[in-house]
Amino acid sequence: MPADTQLLGLFKDEAKAARAIQELAPAGFQFRRAHSPIPSHRILEVLKLTKGPVGWFTLAGGIIGFFTGFALAIFTAVQWNLIVSGKPIVSLIPFFIVGFEFTILFSVFGNVVGLLVCSRLPDYRGLETYDPRCSGEHFGVLAACDTGRKGELMDFFQKKGGEVRVFE
Amino acid sequence: MSELTYAEIDQTVLDTLSPPSGGYWLLVMVLILGVLTGAACWAYQIFTGIGVGGQNIPVAWGTYLINFVFWVGIAHSGTLISAILHLFRAGWRNPIARAAETMTVFAVCCAGLFPFIHLGRVWQVYYMIPLPNQRLLWPNFLSPLIFDVVAISTYLTVSALFWYTGLVPDLAVVRDRSTGLRHRIFRVLSLGWTGAHHQWLNYSRGYLFFAALATPLVISVHSVVSWDFALGVVPGWHTTIFAPYFVAGAIHSGLAMVLTLMIPLRRIFRYEAIITMNVLENVAKTIVLTGLIVGLAYGTEFFIAWYSRNPVEMESFYLRVTGEYAFGFYFMALCNVLIPVLLLFKAVRRSIPSLFTISLVINFGMWWERFVIIIGGVAHDFAPHSWGLYAPRPVEYGVMVGSFSLFFLLFLLFCKHLPSVSMTEMKETVSHAG
Repeated sequence: MPADTQLLGLFKDEAKAARAIQELAPAGFQFRRAHSPIPSHRILEVLKLTKGPVGWFTLAGGIIGFFTGFALAIFTAVQWNLIVSGKPIVSLIPFFIVGFEFTILFSVFGNVVGLLVCSRLPDYRGLETYDPRCSGEHFGVLAACDTGRKGELMDFFQKKGGEVRVFE
Repeated sequence: MSELTYAEIDQTVLDTLSPPSGGYWLLVMVLILGVLTGAACWAYQIFTGIGVGGQNIPVAWGTYLINFVFWVGIAHSGTLISAILHLFRAGWRNPIARAAETMTVFAVCCAGLFPFIHLGRVWQVYYMIPLPNQRLLWPNFLSPLIFDVVAISTYLTVSALFWYTGLVPDLAVVRDRSTGLRHRIFRVLSLGWTGAHHQWLNYSRGYLFFAALATPLVISVHSVVSWDFALGVVPGWHTTIFAPYFVAGAIHSGLAMVLTLMIPLRRIFRYEAIITMNVLENVAKTIVLTGLIVGLAYGTEFFIAWYSRNPVEMESFYLRVTGEYAFGFYFMALCNVLIPVLLLFKAVRRSIPSLFTISLVINFGMWWERFVIIIGGVAHDFAPHSWGLYAPRPVEYGVMVGSFSLFFLLFLLFCKHLPSVSMTEMKETVSHAG
C-alpha cells in the first residue's frame, strides 16, 4: 500500500532528530527528508551521506573554461596574424592568463549549475511539506506512512521528543 | 557570542530589516544627490569631451584610474574574509563575512565604471569584448588592458554569485518570518530553499568549491591590475614586485574599509553581541600584518632602484620623495605603514574610536598610494622634455564623489533590505562553540 500521509517531526535538539531518523526505518516508516537551520553533520552521518556530486560539475566547467579561454585567445590572434611587440602570434604565456580566468569563471558556472541540479533548486513545491520553524531553531524530519498508521507515527515522533505536524 | 541562541541571532538580524527611520532616508537622499553629481559630471564629459578632465600628455591616466585601482583594492578583502578565511576555518570571519562580500560586489561595480568613464567615447566600449564583427576586429589578448577586462568581469561575476549563494539560506529565514509582499519577494529569491539534507549536502560542498576557486582568483585579479603598470616600461612601474605589492595593498585597504563599514553598522544595528570586540581586534591584527607587508614593498622598491644603478629608475624614486608629488608619498608612508603600527598596542586595537580613525586614515593613504604610483611614474619618465604635471579638475572630483556616493548608497540599501550578517554561519559558530 502506498504511503499517503506525511508527518513532520520537529525537534529542538539535533541529536534527537538524528536518532529519530535512525529509528524510522526499523519502526516501519518511510524517511523522506530532514530539514535543518544549519548543515547538520550528525544527520548526514546517520543518512550515510558524505559528499555531494557538485564537484564533478565544477571540474567539468573548469576543463571547458580552460580550453575555451585558450581557444578564444588563439582564434582571435590567428585571424590577423599580426606580430605585436615582437611576440609570437600564438603566445602561450600571456594566453595562460585568459585561460586561467576562464577556468575559474566556468568552474564557478559549473559549480552553480551543479548546486542547482543536485539540490533540485528552485523547488517551490517542497515548501508544501515544510515548516518555517525549520529555518529558525528546529530540526525537521519528514516521514511518510499509510493513513492507518498516522497515529503510530505521531506517537513515534512524540516519544522521541518532537512536536508533530501533519501534511495530508 | 556562543551564548546566543539561534532565535536570538535571527531576531537580532531580522530587527535590522524593520522599516527605516527618517534619518536613513535623509542619508539615502544625500547619497543619491552625490550619485547624480557624478552622473552629471560624466554626462558633461561625454558631451564635451575627455579633455574636461585634467589628463594630459604625458599623464594620460588620472584620478579615473586611481579610483579604479582603489575600488578594485577595496573589493579584495571581501573575498579574503569570505573565501580564504573560510578555507582556514577562521570562525571570527563569520559575523563580518556577509558585509565584506557585499562590499566586494559593490566595490567591483564602482571599479568597473571607471574604465568606461575614462574611455571617453563610452559607446565604443564593445570593442573590449570579443564580439564577432564585419571587420574581423578582435581584442588583443596580448594586452594587459584586455587581461584586465577578462579578470575584472570574471571577478564581478564570481563574487556576485558567491554572495548570492551565501545569501540563499538567509533569504529563506526572512521568507519564513515575513508576510505580504516581502514574503512573496523572498519566496522567489530564496529559490524554495528548505534546508533539506540533500540541499545542505550539496550547498556545503559547492560553497567550499566557491571559496577554493575565489582564492586564486582574488590573487590573480589584483596581480593582473598591477600588470597594467608593470608590463609597461615606465620607470617606477616596470618591476616584478608589483603583483604581490598590489595584492597586499588591496587587502590592506579592503580590511580598513571593512572596519569603516562595520563599526557604524555594529553600533546602529546593535550587533555588539555578534560582531564582538574580538572580531574587530582580529581584523586590526590582520591590518598590522598587511601594513608591514606594504611597508616592506615600499622599502624594497627604493632598494631595488638603488641596487639596479639604473639612473632613470634612481631619478624616479629620488623624485618620489623630493618631487612635486612628494607629499603623496609621505601621506602613503604615514597612513599605510606607520600609523597602522599603532594597532600593535592592545589598547589601540580594542578602542572603537581609534580603530575607526585608523581605518579612515588607511583608506586615505591607500588612495594616495595609487596617486603616487599612477601619476608619479608617467609624470617623470625617461626624458626631461616629456615630463609633465597633473592635477584633477572639477569634473573628476565630481565623478569621484559620485563613485563614493554610489558605493555607500548601495551598502546602505543592502543593510536595510537584506540580512547584513549571515544568520546561518552565526548559528554554525554557536553550534560548534556549544
